[in-house]
Amino acid sequence: MASYLLKRILLAIPVLWGIATLIFLLSRLMPGIYGAELLGQSDSGYFGKADANSREKAYRQFLHRTGQDLPLFYFSLSPATEPDTLHLIFPESERLFLKRLSWQYGDWQLVSSFHNSLKYVEQATPVAQRNRLAPYLQTIYQNPTPKGIERAVTALSSLAPNQVAQKSQLQHHTAQLLEGQNPYAYLMPALRWHGTANQYHRWLVGLAQGEFGTSFRLKRPVSAVLFEAVGTTWWLLLISMVVATAIALELSLRMVRRGGHSWRKAVLPSLFLLDSIPLFVLAMLLLVLLASPAFLQLFPVYGMGYFQEAQLTKAQALGQWLQFMALPLLCLVLANLPYLTSQFYHALTDTANQDYIRTARAKGLSESTVIRKHMLRNALLPVITLLSDFLPALVAGAVIIETVFAIPGMGRLLIDSVLARDYPVIMGIVVLVAAFKLLSHLLADLLYATADPRIRHATT
Amino acid sequence: MSRLFHTLRQAWQEFLAFRVALLYLLLLTLLVLVLPWLPLPFHPNELDLEHVFQRPFDWEAYQQGRPFHWLGTDTLGRDVLANTLFGARTAWAISFPVMVLTTLLGVGLGTSAGLYGDKKARMSRGRALMLLLAALVAFYYGIYLPLQLTSLRFDTTAYTYALTLALLLPGILVFGITPLLKRWDFFCEEIALPVDQAVLRLIEMLTSIPRLILILVLASFAPPSLLLLSLLLIFTFWTGIARLARAETLRIRELPYFEAATGIGATQAQLIYRHALPNMLAPILVSSVFGLASLMLLESTLSFLNIGVSTDLASWGRMISGIRSNTSAWWLVAFPGALLSLTVLGLQTLSHYFLKSSRGNTRL
Repeated sequence: MASYLLKRILLAIPVLWGIATLIFLLSRLMPGIYGAELLGQSDSGYFGKADANSREKAYRQFLHRTGQDLPLFYFSLSPATEPDTLHLIFPESERLFLKRLSWQYGDWQLVSSFHNSLKYVEQATPVAQRNRLAPYLQTIYQNPTPKGIERAVTALSSLAPNQVAQKSQLQHHTAQLLEGQNPYAYLMPALRWHGTANQYHRWLVGLAQGEFGTSFRLKRPVSAVLFEAVGTTWWLLLISMVVATAIALELSLRMVRRGGHSWRKAVLPSLFLLDSIPLFVLAMLLLVLLASPAFLQLFPVYGMGYFQEAQLTKAQALGQWLQFMALPLLCLVLANLPYLTSQFYHALTDTANQDYIRTARAKGLSESTVIRKHMLRNALLPVITLLSDFLPALVAGAVIIETVFAIPGMGRLLIDSVLARDYPVIMGIVVLVAAFKLLSHLLADLLYATADPRIRHATT
Repeated sequence: MSRLFHTLRQAWQEFLAFRVALLYLLLLTLLVLVLPWLPLPFHPNELDLEHVFQRPFDWEAYQQGRPFHWLGTDTLGRDVLANTLFGARTAWAISFPVMVLTTLLGVGLGTSAGLYGDKKARMSRGRALMLLLAALVAFYYGIYLPLQLTSLRFDTTAYTYALTLALLLPGILVFGITPLLKRWDFFCEEIALPVDQAVLRLIEMLTSIPRLILILVLASFAPPSLLLLSLLLIFTFWTGIARLARAETLRIRELPYFEAATGIGATQAQLIYRHALPNMLAPILVSSVFGLASLMLLESTLSFLNIGVSTDLASWGRMISGIRSNTSAWWLVAFPGALLSLTVLGLQTLSHYFLKSSRGNTRL
């Protein structure tokens, strides 16, 4: 048995690694990073334009601190004309402009000197006259095709009569750029090798050592943030799971009984109906009906009730927790009841036709003994697999429930991190959920072996 | 095909619920199709800040000859009726094409995994190597470069160059270089492609975290767009259908008539199109109708959470999320929620009874 389990774990690790790598790489391929908006906000704010240098410095420091100034993977494939240091340029609009220029004209040296001379002209012009330059600069920034640049530069030179030196420099560099251009340059890819100093390697090594990194948003270690959030979600999931399983078992036992026809007639259609109501609609309906001043206000609406005045005893704290958790729990139980009940019911009816059930009945055993001792035991096997698959799937339900009821758990953390692009936390949650699923499958295997002696003997 | 219609007709004659569900769904589809030409008083994104949180059927606000919010308004005065109907349109427009493509992809991968197994797809080393290279090149010039060009706002000639290379280079690799490689014995040797293992591992990987979470995480990485969301949904939804198609293929492969077809020398294409696919049409149809329902659920959940969908897209989820700013506005949940639940119920009823009557058929 132990060797079998070990084999399962070893087989599961590549899957875990695969999904985590896939998500990590996809997340970093997309443009935009956390914090760029924050740093960009001061653009029109208190500090004004004069602080552009310090903002650029702050941006670089942020990149360096979070390791985002490193290349993404062990190697990269991009047009040969693109320089390595492009991702360090700030702000993003300037970076995109330079990237476009380097793709279109091919020679980074020429592109860079053209850009610098353009900036000199802009800076040398008195502030009062800048408005007249703006439309031409805009044309260059928006659409730097050879024709567009030529026309705009000519127009710029006829304006602003004072800065002769800068203008002639600009004209010179423009002419060089247009002469030396290679319009097919971007089609030629270059493979660059970065070695182990890359983001992916660092993350993977950290993960292997149990280190999830630091959250961008909360500025705290991801493992601590996750640990807090998991505590709430774990109890929410476990309690709703236990309650839903108990109700589903009881209902299906009643339905499978000989006199259970009326139960079947009442329960099955209503569960079918319940199944078609989406979880978030159900949660919202319960919120409106049971926790809003317009109808019944039986439960507190939001959150966990942290802001209490007096110190509570353990029982009181539990009572308050239950009061806040009652609606979320009810939602999760109701949402999962139809699926669980129908699966249990099918598992039970499958065993009901077996020979040993007929034998048990023929022996004169009471109906409840037949069901609880003979049917249930054999029906439990598929149920175990079902439950082990089900617990991780509940996490998805928790995402919705925690958002609706503002519970500070994993799901809410996920949504917040997703909205803020807080990659370390997102990756932490992904790894945690995948590992959770893996563990529950292992647990199911163990339970299987305990429930069924045939499996136990076959695997050893 | 004829058996499929037979089953449909049987289900139609036998079950009242099937008839009701089918009629409801057809009516809804018709409504969704003609919606832009209907004389609705309001556009779904039209703001009416003078009538915020107006109750449904609020006759005090009714004036003869003025447009009236029949089902009330939300926090910005958007009309609930228009949003509910256009939400249905959005739900159809996303879930239907996605489901069709998902089914095609899933059936394709699933049947080839079941049919070829791990040993039957054989190929010379040189060809396999060149195909792999060609796929990489096609990805770089056909997908990566065009995406980058879009973000850099290049004009169309740049795309033409990239796409031409995306077709030309793989062609040269596969048809030009592969024959040259055949001079070495090493590249001529045939190897078996583990199609089944590859598909199974891929499915296992994609299902190792719950689908909602996978989509949430992936959708967060890019600016919200309908095309991207659809691609994500296809990318994550094909696994269920592929599993089913693989299992069905494994079952059909062992049936006597299939062995006979193989025995009389039917080609691989004939085996798939004439013998395997028609036999698994019914279960796949059922599961894709189920998938349609869960796609609708997912779309509205995502727009409820405001992730991956842009905020100016009229949707059931967006309307329902409006209630969070005012929990007494029950009409924001009731109308879109009811339509969503009814549609899901309709789809589930349809596939339930279809399954029932197709099971009865095979037993006969």
